[in-house]
Amino acid sequence: MADIILKLAGALIFLSITCGVARLVIGRTVVDRIVAIDMLTVVSIALIALYAHLSGRFVYIDVALVYGLLSFLAVLAIARFLERRR
Amino acid sequence: MLELLVILVCVGILASGVLAVWLENLLAAMISAGLASLFAAVSYVLLAAPDVAMAEAAIGSGLATLIFLYTMRKTDGGREP
Repeated sequence: MADIILKLAGALIFLSITCGVARLVIGRTVVDRIVAIDMLTVVSIALIALYAHLSGRFVYIDVALVYGLLSFLAVLAIARFLERRR
Repeated sequence: MLELLVILVCVGILASGVLAVWLENLLAAMISAGLASLFAAVSYVLLAAPDVAMAEAAIGSGLATLIFLYTMRKTDGGREP
């Protein structure tokens, strides 16, 4: 059961990264690309957590944590920059 | 399954790197460069180097993006040509 769920999670992460990179390449406006990079950050955190479970090394969870904090800061700064420029 | 994900992450690094060079809009190019750094951090984790990945996530994706934003605000780079 857990094996099926992990494989499903891997497939979903694969699909999400594909769609996000496609949106980044197509993306008409800058805001599209910002939302795409935000989504890809969340998917990457999920991928790191999945790999931490699969490999059994829980040090990798720390990387996901640090990344979650920092990516939030970067997207916030970009949004603030866009707001001030308008 | 994991090999496919590694290949996909490497394709993501390649695509965002090419986009960072190609795009005319400076803000979009900067976002693409940050995404290349993000995927590089993920690939470092998948290659079993979590400390390098943490440094890459902190410096490459967090600090570099903020410094680029600060520079674009100080100069005239953020405007449309």
